[in-house]
Amino acid sequence: MIVTRKIALRIALILLAAVILQVSFFSYLSLFGSIPDIVPVVVAILGLLGGAVLGAVAGFVAGFLLDSVLLQTLGVSSLALLAIGYMAGRYREGYEISSALAPPLMVGILTLLYAALFSALQLMLGVSTPVSLAIVRDVVVKGLLGTLLALFTYPLVRRILRPALLDAAHGARRRARIRPAAAVRRRLRRRRARTTARAVGASGRPG
Amino acid sequence: MYRKQVRRRRAVLVLLVGASLVLLTSTFGGGGGPFLTFQHGVATALGPLEEGANRALKPARDLVNWFHETFQARGENDQLKAEVRSLAIRKAKYEQALGENRHFRNLLQLDGSSAVAAYKPVTARIIGRSPTVWYSTVTLDVGSGAGVQVNDPIVTGDGLVGRVSAVTRGTSEVTLITDHTSAVSAKVLPDGPEGVVEPEAGNPNVLLLDFIDRSAKIHQGQLVVTAGWSNGQISSAYPYGLRLGRITQANSGVGQTYQRVALRAFADLRGMDYVQVLTHGPKRPGDGQ
Repeated sequence: MIVTRKIALRIALILLAAVILQVSFFSYLSLFGSIPDIVPVVVAILGLLGGAVLGAVAGFVAGFLLDSVLLQTLGVSSLALLAIGYMAGRYREGYEISSALAPPLMVGILTLLYAALFSALQLMLGVSTPVSLAIVRDVVVKGLLGTLLALFTYPLVRRILRPALLDAAHGARRRARIRPAAAVRRRLRRRRARTTARAVGASGRPG
Repeated sequence: MYRKQVRRRRAVLVLLVGASLVLLTSTFGGGGGPFLTFQHGVATALGPLEEGANRALKPARDLVNWFHETFQARGENDQLKAEVRSLAIRKAKYEQALGENRHFRNLLQLDGSSAVAAYKPVTARIIGRSPTVWYSTVTLDVGSGAGVQVNDPIVTGDGLVGRVSAVTRGTSEVTLITDHTSAVSAKVLPDGPEGVVEPEAGNPNVLLLDFIDRSAKIHQGQLVVTAGWSNGQISSAYPYGLRLGRITQANSGVGQTYQRVALRAFADLRGMDYVQVLTHGPKRPGDGQ
């Protein structure tokens, strides 16, 4: 990904929108006993599209925004999100994403990892009350919901960042090379049709 | 070239992890200094955006929740019918007790006003929620500008919800009674023991009443309210008598020093949109729980 100022602004707006949507919309929903989490989904997608450095920076910024908006202990979400952003980026740098299902599945796994890492951090920071086993269910359901969310979030984010994507630019150049040829073919077809029509009209006239 | 890229990538990672750990250690437990001021600045700046998004997305949220609640309501219908029958019998007993209570209050010349009457309630809208089961917090659209202070109790018509844990000029953060950092001193009615209500971390649907004497007799269905204790130096942040929940499971663990019972909160902590902040309360010794 080529990150220009415009693209950086788009990424910042995507992260801000994800955090606002999370606290004002997704956190109110309760699906299968868990809350859908859009922020790790977006961070993982940015890592998959932009690489390890972008994923890690996006994770840190998103975590900082999330903790700030909720007035929570700073750094916990940042640490967990930058880890999954980095991992998503390393995956993208190491493997080629050929299947359309690979990104949502990868995002689901990373969301699950984020939930597990966040829980581990909380346990390390100290919990005075009894801990329920429902946390395991929450972590798994969050991963599944992450996969579902990624099914429509990945194409959306990809579309917004298309001008910066190297593979998308390559595809666009290829289409640009094909387009004149197709246009010429169409023009030739139209001209041939006109000539045929004229010839038929001429032969049909009374002599 | 590749080595340079790898070095750069690692340097960024180390820098970000370091920054996260600095933030974490400096703001953990309520400290933070400049970071905390910056955090409050960000929260204040994003507050209106959060509020706008909350209002705009309410119809979509309600639609999704409607589907979920419809499924849930089918199962709850039979359970509620049985509950209504048992409550009708209980109501008759309570009405009798209420009459007696009024009579005795008159005899003692008490004014009859509850502890809540000593506060100035401020109605607030919930504009944000925490996305994890670890933090049960909500953000309100009122802050210190409306007279809200840290430790102010938060209630709905159903009962206690939580208390204010952080305040900015225009927003405030509420730690709900289901948050793992919450502990509320409580009393079992009518003449039951006192204990501490705390959640089971990771399961916001269950509250536990802990530290009850093993010999105390507790029954399913008994009402639990805030104890509002004070020992002269420190006191609870909550006044006496705020409804907390009803006991759902009362079985003492074998070999344990204290009894621990499960209760269900009266307030609908997931479905609420508006709450009341009890501000300008009476002066209490200390500011603890």
